[in-house]
This record gives sequence, structure tokens and C-alpha cells, in this order.
Amino acid sequence: MTELEYAPFELMAVAGARELKNGEIVCVGLGLPIVASFLAKRTHAPNITILLELGVVDPEPIEVGVDGLSDPRIWYRAKAHTSFADTLGSVLHKGLVDVGFLGALEVDAYGNLNTTLLGDPKGKYRRFTGSGGGNDIASCARRTVITIRHEARKLNEAVSFITSPGYLHGGDERGKSGLMGAPSRVITDKAIFDFDPQSKRMRLMSIHPNTTLEDVLSNMNFKPVIPDELPITEPPTAEQIRLIREEIDPEKAYAGS
Amino acid sequence: MSKVSSLADAVASIPSGSHIALSGFATARCVMAFAHEVIRQGTKKLTVSQCVGAIDADILVGAGAAERIIYGGGSRGRSGQHSCLSRGIEQGTLVTEELSSLSMTFRYLAGSLGLPFIPIRSLNGSDILKRLQEITPSPVSTLKDPFTGEDWLVIKPLVPDVAVVQVQVADDEGNAWLLGPRWDNEEQVKASKRAIVITEQLVSTETIRRYPERTLIPGFKVSHVVHLPFSAHPSSVYGVYDFDKEHIKLYAEASKTPKGFQEYLDKYVYGVKDHWGYLEKVGGMKYLNNLLADPILGY
Repeated sequence: MTELEYAPFELMAVAGARELKNGEIVCVGLGLPIVASFLAKRTHAPNITILLELGVVDPEPIEVGVDGLSDPRIWYRAKAHTSFADTLGSVLHKGLVDVGFLGALEVDAYGNLNTTLLGDPKGKYRRFTGSGGGNDIASCARRTVITIRHEARKLNEAVSFITSPGYLHGGDERGKSGLMGAPSRVITDKAIFDFDPQSKRMRLMSIHPNTTLEDVLSNMNFKPVIPDELPITEPPTAEQIRLIREEIDPEKAYAGS
Repeated sequence: MSKVSSLADAVASIPSGSHIALSGFATARCVMAFAHEVIRQGTKKLTVSQCVGAIDADILVGAGAAERIIYGGGSRGRSGQHSCLSRGIEQGTLVTEELSSLSMTFRYLAGSLGLPFIPIRSLNGSDILKRLQEITPSPVSTLKDPFTGEDWLVIKPLVPDVAVVQVQVADDEGNAWLLGPRWDNEEQVKASKRAIVITEQLVSTETIRRYPERTLIPGFKVSHVVHLPFSAHPSSVYGVYDFDKEHIKLYAEASKTPKGFQEYLDKYVYGVKDHWGYLEKVGGMKYLNNLLADPILGY
């Protein structure tokens, strides 16, 4: 049997899907989180409820959304069309969202996310998206799963702007700050991290097949906690890859996002 | 009483310096015909607010009609950042009060209920909150829960002078249906002192009374009803027409530079007399016909 070939994006989507348990409520943005959620729904978690922040509950698109959350293609076959006050308010703010998926320009050692700007916040900077529902998800979801490309410029000791809070400066600072939930995973194209229970610093959980610890660490601008035993991330199955390529993202619209 | 009016009259009812809430979300249900008319009439010093940045706010800021934005951030999605908003923020020419989607919704919700403030979990610990604390007067504060003693972040309501909302269906009193997801629009309209409804279809009050459960915008909040087809183009109106991918690409490219953006305005806004002229300029009925939505798909 030849070894299954897959792209880093596909491995990340599969790892994201594994974070979802059947019956959970998940709040997603476009791109990898959509692929991960639909993959979970078609495999081990058929009864998850997928929320899009602008007011879409449990859509089943038959065409790939091309332009963002506002593309009506991804609202198709929803069980409810509603509002921010409902999805982000009555569900998320009330504490009913189990998993929120977030991406970012950069993430720091404590899981804080920047989606606002690159450069000097008090001086010259380049403006990006800002929060949208990102801050709300990071503030209220029971578990936040962060997906980000594994590049040194994206993995920093501290972010230049905290758009969406992780563990702030670590320890029990988040617990005292009025926030609910917490970041639970950071999934990159080289490794998966969780957070040290005491310091709340990012901790390596597993490294992906065909990657070395040295490769993981040399492409980060901070040192994560490294456990004594470091397993290899479970690779995708042939069926998971087939679902992604043939059913969920046949036009490769999300791949690479 | 019929409130049906021309777009020009509806826009003329808004003095320079007003705070207007806009119904757009990225590239969906943006009040584009309205924004173009505001620019043509030369209304200035507007404050615009919306939960997630959309191309209606982008064009008003780029054209110098709006000088202040209160919003929750946002981009066009895959087709990139709102260039005029980004430029204004980077250069410091756009006064910005930036929150998140839910905190914006809560501010409208508090406004709609007539509450003096509303507690929220979001924003805590973030640099978004730090920036809001630096604004004078600040729209954020803290309060002790009188029942539990817990400390809460509280935010100020928003009460816009006018909400401008793009809808699918309205009658001449302004009773309106908002079909598809409606993000912040219901709270926006109810928080505002009055609303201008821009509708794709004008129906009788008999139709409104036949389906009363669909009425999300009550006519008594509405001062003007403007009936214009494709009035959100190039953004989408769920169930009526899809977004115009090609025109949005054209706008995205043009708005990357001030020069390109000015050329866009000269051609599509200043270069036409009104919305009917705009529709001809983008390709007329023959072109727009291709954007009409499938009734089941909604796009």
C-alpha cells in the first residue's frame, strides 16, 4: 500500500474536525473551520450544530462560498436565519457555544490573537480586519481552537495587538478578567499545541508526520512548553481526504486559506 | 399614510453631521444606491455605524461623506480589506470607534430598549477595550453587579439619528420584511430615532397584514420608503439577486488607490444622474438579469 498523500491544509482540517464532539455547538468563520466542521459532521459528529455569526444556524451548502460569510451560498439549507443578537448573544454570550474556531495574523505564547494590524499600534501600521465576531468568540466560547500557519512571524512571544483574548499574560489572569471559556488548541501545519495547566503557556501536544521538533521550534519566535513524550499527530484517513476533496471543497476554494 | 419618496428626497432629509446606521454586512444588503446619492448631494461629516464593515460604509468614507465610523471591524472576505476604511484608519483621517460584532449589537440593543448601558463579557482583556478607554468621553465603563457583587464591563447604547436599511419587501408605510440572516439590522432600526427603508419590492398593506409574523421593521419607525430595484448592487439581496462578483472585483481593484477610487466615483457616482443611470452604466437590464436569484437557493 502506498502512503496516503495529503496537503498540510488537509491535515489541519482533519485535526480541527477531531476537536468537535457529536452534539456540540460550534461557531465558525470561513475557510479551514468550515472544512473542519463539515468534515466532523459527515464523519464522527453528525449532530453538531454549526453557527455562522451573522445569523445562520446549521447550513448545508451545496456550493462552496466564495466571498466570505456574506456569500449566500453558505447560508443554504440552514435550519434558521436569525441575527447576531441570537447567535452571538443568546447562544454564545449565554455560554452555549462549545467550540469556536479562530484564525489570526499572529498568535502569542498565551493564545492571544491579533487580527487588527501589523506594525506599531501607536505609529505606522498596516490595518487588517479587526474583530468581527472573533473577540466575542474568544471571550465566550467554552473552547477556542486556533488555526494558523506555522511561520515564525505568526508565532510570537507577544502579539502587537490583542484583538481576541487568550490567557492574556498567563497564570490565572484570564480567570479574573470576566471572560468565559478559554483557548484549548492551536493547530498549525507542523504541530498541535494545548496549554500548560498552570502557566497557561502553549505546550506541544504532537508534531505532524514528516516534521521534526527542530523544524517546529525553529519556525517559532517563542519556546513552547515541551512535554517529555511527544507523539506524532494522527494522519488523516483516506476517507477523510476523499470527503474534503470530493464533497466539501471540490473547487479547492478553502484549501490554502 | 404613504411614506414613499424619491431617493433624492430621502437623502435630503439627512443633515450633514448626522449619525447613520447602515444595513450592509461585507457584500450583502449594502445600501449602495443610498450611499451614491449621499455622495452626489454632498452631505458631509457623517458618522456611520454598523456591526461589520461593508462596502456602503467604505464608499461613504472614501468619498469624504463620512468622517467617523463606529463598527466591529470586518473585511469583504476573500476579496480583501475595505481599502478606504483601511486607508482612513492607517492615516488617522477617519475617526474610529472600534468594537466587535456582538458589542456593537449590544449597543444597538441597549439603544432599542432605551437602556442607559448594557453589561457584556466581550472586549475584556483586549487592546480593543484599551483603545475604547482612551476615547473621551469613553463608551465603556465598569460596574458592580448589585445582586452578586461581580465586576462587569458596561458599554453605552447607540442611538443613531437614522437607520438606513435595505430590505426585500415593504409597504408604503414602511412595514418591512428582512429575509435571510439579518445580522444587526433589527436592533439598528429599533435603536435609531427613525429609519429609511430602501426596498426592492413595494407591496400593499394587505400583503403585510396577510403575513404579520414576517414584519421585522414596524412602519411607525420609518420616515421614508424608497422603492428601487437593484438598490444594493453590487452587493446581494437574499432571495432577490446575487452579489456581482465582477463588479466587486472592479471596485476592490479601483479602491486600492485614491486615484483609482476617484476614477470609480467619477464614472459610477458623479458620472450618472441617479440610480437608473447607474444601472445603465453597470450593464443595464441585460447584464443585471443574470444576477437574479433562484427562488430556492436564494442567490
